Amino acid sequence: MRETPLSNCEKEFILKNISEQRRLDGRNSYDYRDLRIAFGVSLGCCHVELGKTRVLAQVSCEVGQPKQTRPHDGVLYVNVELSPMACPSFEAGRQTEEGVELSRLMERCLKESRCMDLESLCIVAGEKAWHIRIDIHVLNHEGNILDCSSIAAIAALAHFRRPDVTVQGQEITIHSMEDRNPVPLSIHHIPLLVSFAFFIQGKYMIVDPSEKEEKVMEGKMVIGMNKHREICTLQVTGEMLLLKEQVLRCSNIAVMKVTKITELIHTALANDKQARLRGEKHGFAELISGEKLSSNQQPPIEVKPAFNIYEEDDDSMSSMESDESSLGHKVQEVDIKRYL
Amino acid sequence: MASFIVVKKEDLEKKQNVEPCHTLRCLTSELGCLTRQDGSVSLSQGDTTSLAVVYGPAEVRISRELIDRATVELVYKPKVGLPRPADRKREQIMKSIFEATIITNLHPRSSITIILQETEDLGSNLACCINAACLALLDAAVNMSFMVAAVAVSVADEGQIKLDPSKNDEEKGRASITFVFDSVDLNVVSIVTSGKFSQIEYKAGLELAREASQKVFQFFKDSMSRKLIR
Amino acid sequence: MADQYRIAQPKDYYRQFLEKDVRPDNRGLGEYRATVMNIGCVSTAEGSSLVKIGNTTVMCGIKAEVAEPGVDGKNGYLVPNVELSPLCSANFRPGPPGELAQVLSQNMADLIADSQCVKLENLCVCPGKLVWVLHIDLVCLDYDGNLMDACTLAMMSALKSTSLPVVTVDEESGEIKTDPSSRTLLPVSCCPVSTTLIVFDNKLLLVDPTSEEESLATGAVTVVTEGKNVCSIYKPGGTPLTDKQIRDCIERGFIRGKEARSLIEETLCSVDR
Repeated sequence: MRETPLSNCEKEFILKNISEQRRLDGRNSYDYRDLRIAFGVSLGCCHVELGKTRVLAQVSCEVGQPKQTRPHDGVLYVNVELSPMACPSFEAGRQTEEGVELSRLMERCLKESRCMDLESLCIVAGEKAWHIRIDIHVLNHEGNILDCSSIAAIAALAHFRRPDVTVQGQEITIHSMEDRNPVPLSIHHIPLLVSFAFFIQGKYMIVDPSEKEEKVMEGKMVIGMNKHREICTLQVTGEMLLLKEQVLRCSNIAVMKVTKITELIHTALANDKQARLRGEKHGFAELISGEKLSSNQQPPIEVKPAFNIYEEDDDSMSSMESDESSLGHKVQEVDIKRYL
Repeated sequence: MASFIVVKKEDLEKKQNVEPCHTLRCLTSELGCLTRQDGSVSLSQGDTTSLAVVYGPAEVRISRELIDRATVELVYKPKVGLPRPADRKREQIMKSIFEATIITNLHPRSSITIILQETEDLGSNLACCINAACLALLDAAVNMSFMVAAVAVSVADEGQIKLDPSKNDEEKGRASITFVFDSVDLNVVSIVTSGKFSQIEYKAGLELAREASQKVFQFFKDSMSRKLIR
Repeated sequence: MADQYRIAQPKDYYRQFLEKDVRPDNRGLGEYRATVMNIGCVSTAEGSSLVKIGNTTVMCGIKAEVAEPGVDGKNGYLVPNVELSPLCSANFRPGPPGELAQVLSQNMADLIADSQCVKLENLCVCPGKLVWVLHIDLVCLDYDGNLMDACTLAMMSALKSTSLPVVTVDEESGEIKTDPSSRTLLPVSCCPVSTTLIVFDNKLLLVDPTSEEESLATGAVTVVTEGKNVCSIYKPGGTPLTDKQIRDCIERGFIRGKEARSLIEETLCSVDR
């Protein structure tokens, strides 16, 4: 389906508001929307809501061969799915420019920042290593998928546990969950992406653009940073020129945002751990609260069959033979020929 | 080797202590949970959750246009990796179910697209997907000649029938059967099975699932009326 | 005149026949088309068969190769693949397998897994080192409906006639030796048979549909039976059916199962001796 374009009056209205330091949803220029991080029952499954934008990330692992150029390292795959689920204008199975940019930035954020220790994923050098795969599904596109995906991906990696492995000579044993506690991935730092949108020759700048603001913006700057103030990615796109001061100002804002989001991720991880330890309910089913008008809950119900289901009732079985078959008439002898 | 997702046993939902065999797990739904679609629903059955969205009736690609009815398209997205042949089969099953329920003749030369995202598969995933898709169609107010409710049962080695099985029950059991019923006469719209079973076990499972499907229909009605009446 | 009527009003044309409990090709509603089977027709394959149900023709060839096992170390692999080329019908296009071919391949794989007719442990040559991979290639030569039944019949008869060369692995050098002169039969523990019925006009059940009947159908049911057990009931959507109708389908499945199994046995016997 085609994308509905923004009308000129809508565009002008948004631009006018921004030039007066106001935004449609009542935020200040440097505010993020509400952030909600939830984890699934399976390990390494993370669901992030940034305002109405929703992203689901799932980490999985398998044993495979390491890359020939790096025989001592495990492999990390990043896959970003932009399907029509998120927004009608996305098409299934076709890579768009937007999709390529997104997955490239995610790879730079997660792989090239070396946030994960790949060496610890090696089982037998040159032969067997863990392949870790992150699938990032964008569920709802209401702007700034990028920041939302980076939060979901890194939180999922931090939440994930892989099965323990022991090597004895040639024998490799992968221990089941009951056998041994699964081990977490070793993560050195938490890199996060922060997007800034620029308007009117780079004069006005806002953090966390919504979907409509993204349609109006002139250009975008993405800063990948961890809480130690180390920059791992920086990308400027669009038709605009930025002053040095603006880049510095953005990086200062990014420091604040990253520190805050990192804290949130840690709290969410700790909460999930606590809930699991205490055996409380957790997982996505808990995301839906029963108080909303649009949600509903039916507690577990015991179903009583109308009669004893384990007993074969003879009436129906015997009556069938006398009945006329619904195949029209009695099944005829089937003619089977055979050639050799 | 297939990649695997790790689930710890102690994290799974606590076993119900009252006759666990005939219990339909807790159903939770949220209608209109997403904003960009015509209809969307997040449904959970116990720990299993799935997300369904519906677009339509909307424009259709010329190559798929049908002159007398709407084209029903269904996409199933697994959580890990690319769709496999097993997912294609699942898509085909669900597509033919909804081609039968949606009154496609009302919207010639248009498309109705259903997209399903697996969010957590911990048993009875197909049933959960079908139920979510049906609720999403209701949320998008697409005309249907009847509603459908899917209920799964599994057959343990000794022939014991378990309603709405968890992942563990499915793996341990000898067979599992997913029944889909219509809301008018509670007839069988679809059956998908795996594993061997006898005719008696089939019949027992059918009766149990039919009884349970009424609870699912009741849940659909409650969910819709909560949204519409208040 | 009748031909024009058939093209213009296919449903009405069929209804007139079905009122009299007969189909345009002179069959009863519950009647199968003539089934023809030839086993061992491809001499270069480890096992092969050719099955015709009416005009529908499917050829199955089984090729074996050795490979390294997965992590568990003892399970072999069975890889069924259904090919629907433009050769068999104008509905199919060349190129990667379409939806129908993919679903059929998956159905074949599910059938083997559900019935456990070939146990994957039996395909192990040397634990942890070497297992058999059986590529089951099903090629449709002529498409006239009811592919599912033709494919299962072809696959099962080919599996039953499959023999594998004896392979030994040298303990020290790790060398693989094959002895082409002695072959062992692949152990096949049971023989599932599928029966497909379609629903016409939301009420009538027709066994073994032709492609014309399939295009008019409002639903389909496939029942796979094995001995006294049901292996699978596969009804992907379509018209809702009553319990009695489904029970009839299962009954019909058992009858067809017996016939098809005896056909396979007879054909196998006459090939061997």
